[in-house]
Amino acid sequence: MFVLKPQSGIPIYRQLVEQITRLIAGGQLAAGTELPSVRELAELHTVNPMTISKAYALLESEGLLERQRGKPMRVAARRRNQAPLTQRLQQLEPAIRDVVLAARQLEVGKKELVALLGDTWEKNDG
Amino acid sequence: MAEPIMTARDVTKLFGSKTALDAVSADVFPGDIIGVLGKNGAGKTTLLETLLGFSTPNRGSVTVFGEDALAMSAQTKARIGFLPQLDELFAMLNGKQHLAIVSAFHSNWDRALIERLVAEWSVPLTRRIDSLSVGERQKLAVLSALGHRPDLLVLDEPVASLDPIARRQFLQQLFAIAEDEDRAVLFSSHIVSDLERAANKVWIVKDGRLYWQGYLDALKESVVRLHIRARSALPRDIAVPNALVTRVDGNTAIATVARWQPSEAAALAQRFDGSLDVESLGLEDIFLELHR
Repeated sequence: MFVLKPQSGIPIYRQLVEQITRLIAGGQLAAGTELPSVRELAELHTVNPMTISKAYALLESEGLLERQRGKPMRVAARRRNQAPLTQRLQQLEPAIRDVVLAARQLEVGKKELVALLGDTWEKNDG
Repeated sequence: MAEPIMTARDVTKLFGSKTALDAVSADVFPGDIIGVLGKNGAGKTTLLETLLGFSTPNRGSVTVFGEDALAMSAQTKARIGFLPQLDELFAMLNGKQHLAIVSAFHSNWDRALIERLVAEWSVPLTRRIDSLSVGERQKLAVLSALGHRPDLLVLDEPVASLDPIARRQFLQQLFAIAEDEDRAVLFSSHIVSDLERAANKVWIVKDGRLYWQGYLDALKESVVRLHIRARSALPRDIAVPNALVTRVDGNTAIATVARWQPSEAAALAQRFDGSLDVESLGLEDIFLELHR
């Protein structure tokens, strides 16, 4: 199912992340498709199970895979216009830079700023 | 974070005027499979043996499961499995007799595990050990080191003589050990491809120093080869940041760099007024480049 080359200069977890990302984007891995377990893939390719877990965890944090309790990972249902988390965080960065700059100019400390951010988050929840 | 299983601090070992180990500091954490890589004579065997307290460092100390490596209790020793580079099998016995003796030293010998591995790895148990092939001896030695389910397994060149099938089976066994989250494996090997499959961390030993230690993934992401193509001839002595080796040939230059940051690519291309290709390197290439 996947082509993993341990001797490549690209770390194994990244090879797997890139392949699964492509297969999902290309529709070969449809939403709901279950992936092999960490153990199965690690055994099949004789690679350290940790490297497979790392790839799955990364894909989960990007919203491409979802964990099911006691069952294999599966391809997440695609949410409309949902960019990966890292990309969405990148989009937030300029706004946050402005806030940090303003806080520095006002000599507001990091702790106070983070607390204010938390409070604001709570107040605007829902 | 979990407590380290083993901690080495500033370990220095002299053989006469030769420095065999030079201020080595390192940790082994539960779940680690650490591959130790180095040229012949770099100090790998001395390192492993000193970590286990077989030889006294001239400076520094090693702690294993919270105890000084030079004064470990019997209980702590029982949690360690060690495979020396030259096996210590009883030549006149057969494999079955040998395993019977080794298992007698351990109250927790996993008979079922060893029986399963003997069958899977096709280890001949009824022939005298001095009539076995080097590979067969090695398999038997590995079994002797892991039958008591050690929490720390240290293997000095465990697979050099094993065929590819046996090596894969051996690696699977290492995974089974490290999967158990309280255990760790430390193994030296010249077979870089095995190390790339199995190890999450790598120690590169060079001239008695731990020249590089850390995650294998991070090593592969940080040491890369840059191919620079400029519009005009490059000066012979161009300075590429963090370069280990640089070769200039007319308009082109090839530089192997450490601590590579992909974000540097654009600025570097601009500086040399040209294009830049980044080539990622396998562990064997990285090892060679680090030894130029």
